[in-house]
Amino acid sequence: MSANIRPGARSGGAALAAPRSGAIAGEDVVPLGARDAAAAARTRVPLAWAREHAATIARWVVIAAVVGLWQASATFLNPIFISSPVTVVRDFASLVGNGQLPSAFGSSIGELAAGAVIALVLGVTIGMSMGRIRLIERALDPLVALGNATPSIALLPVMVVWFGVGSSARIAFIMVLGLWTFIINTLAGVRSVRGGLRDVGVAFGLGPWRQTWEIYLPATAPYIFVAARIAMAQATVGMILSGQEVGQGGLGGLAADFGSYSETGQLIATIATTTALAMFLFWLIRTVQARAFPWINETSAGRR
Amino acid sequence: MTIDASSVAAGGRVARAGEGELAPPILEVHGISKTFTTNNREVVALRDVSLAVRRGEFVSLVGASGCGKTTLLRSIVGLESPDAGIISLEGQILDGVSKDMAYVFQDINLLPWRSVVANVELGLEARAVPKRERRERAMHFLGLVGLTDVADAPPYTLSGGMQQRVGVARALATEPKVLLMDEPFGQLDNFTREALQVEISNLWSRLGTTIVFVTHDVDEAIFLSDRVVLFVPNPGRISEIVDVPLPRPRSDYDVRADSRAIELRSQVMQHLHRAGAVAG
Repeated sequence: MSANIRPGARSGGAALAAPRSGAIAGEDVVPLGARDAAAAARTRVPLAWAREHAATIARWVVIAAVVGLWQASATFLNPIFISSPVTVVRDFASLVGNGQLPSAFGSSIGELAAGAVIALVLGVTIGMSMGRIRLIERALDPLVALGNATPSIALLPVMVVWFGVGSSARIAFIMVLGLWTFIINTLAGVRSVRGGLRDVGVAFGLGPWRQTWEIYLPATAPYIFVAARIAMAQATVGMILSGQEVGQGGLGGLAADFGSYSETGQLIATIATTTALAMFLFWLIRTVQARAFPWINETSAGRR
Repeated sequence: MTIDASSVAAGGRVARAGEGELAPPILEVHGISKTFTTNNREVVALRDVSLAVRRGEFVSLVGASGCGKTTLLRSIVGLESPDAGIISLEGQILDGVSKDMAYVFQDINLLPWRSVVANVELGLEARAVPKRERRERAMHFLGLVGLTDVADAPPYTLSGGMQQRVGVARALATEPKVLLMDEPFGQLDNFTREALQVEISNLWSRLGTTIVFVTHDVDEAIFLSDRVVLFVPNPGRISEIVDVPLPRPRSDYDVRADSRAIELRSQVMQHLHRAGAVAG
């Protein structure tokens, strides 16, 4: 019985395609007959390179145009409104140099991580319990609907009343923002677990706890990752908002300060740092999913 | 063809007289009924079904879709709870899932987040087999289906036929007293299906496991089985039980060409048509 797995078949396909891709790239080792063609192609390299990277080039052209327009507009607009790219970079360097930005960044990311991790653990636990145990679902359903419907911003003063002005209140606020997302998505994930996978757990004699751990939790992972992306955006907003409103801490507090003193360059540098942080977090979630849960993408493309 | 009329008497008593030399029943199904309600419409999937399977026997349940054969198999393993009737294994009445039986699913249902070998270990985890022994047993049964090479691969990188071999290994690894197979080759192409039929037949003779096998393919049932149980729908029930007296091993033996097999096949088909089990 043959034991071909797909990677083997794929490398065979790549070998067949090699002459063509080699001729275009003008590198790679190329089978005998194709060598002359590759040499001829090498003279056309700049054009071929431009064609291959058209999207990247277009992207950088847009970025350069935006920055250029911004810099140009700074020459005739009041710097309080718009500052200029050069000023922002200079302000960014000085904020890093005097330690203000790194310290705000550190405290913000710490609060964000604490709030998000608590929301994840609590939300998945609650959502999974509701999905697996009917009584818990019945009992918590109204509470979850209520919590989800409450505009979270209204809870910020409540957090201050409960936890005082400081880090704990900010962490609690960030946590509450993401919590409902994790609960609702985990519950939806449990409900969508394929009947066939449920049957496997039952038929092979796994107890209820083992079924939850070995079948339902991993099968719900795609939904939990979706929740993580949404909750990360919510938590980032919570991080800035609570920093501005509760005791002026972290990046939010810094941005509020610069705003009130009309330090537009420093304000934009702080906002850009926040954006970079958020983008890094999205990248992180995507990378964790691709590394630790490769089956999510492999099986969602119609393969089993 | 010996149609076993005595086994389908009303009430479904199947312990057959004059067969003392045969192995005693290991699995007995008595008076199973099951009704499903979907969209306020009642469908009688099984009405008063009784069956006895002897130790080491290969029994196929055959019939058109909707005749209750899969419902019976799911009831035996404990995935469905019948409205009436009892199921017993070695004389013990079963309540819920039995760890002495294992199931092979039509849609295979391997866990994509586990490697091939970890999938085979699943049932052993539920049976509290120590970790080291678990791995050894899983590798042993992967070896029986010829897949030790891909033990660490994710299941979705395997072909459909290889995935179902993993499904068979996963079930066999629990060393079940009765192996239940629900149209296991239904989703495979013809060549893969025939290869797996030969393989399962060899495994069965080698391991001596009792197998109950659901299929709608009469040739497959005749090739594999000692007895073929014919189901008819509306309500789902057993219509006939047919002995397959073809000699074994049948591995290199073409059931489609053998005159006795052809005769058997045409009688089974005629019976199913007469009983209204085959539409059109």
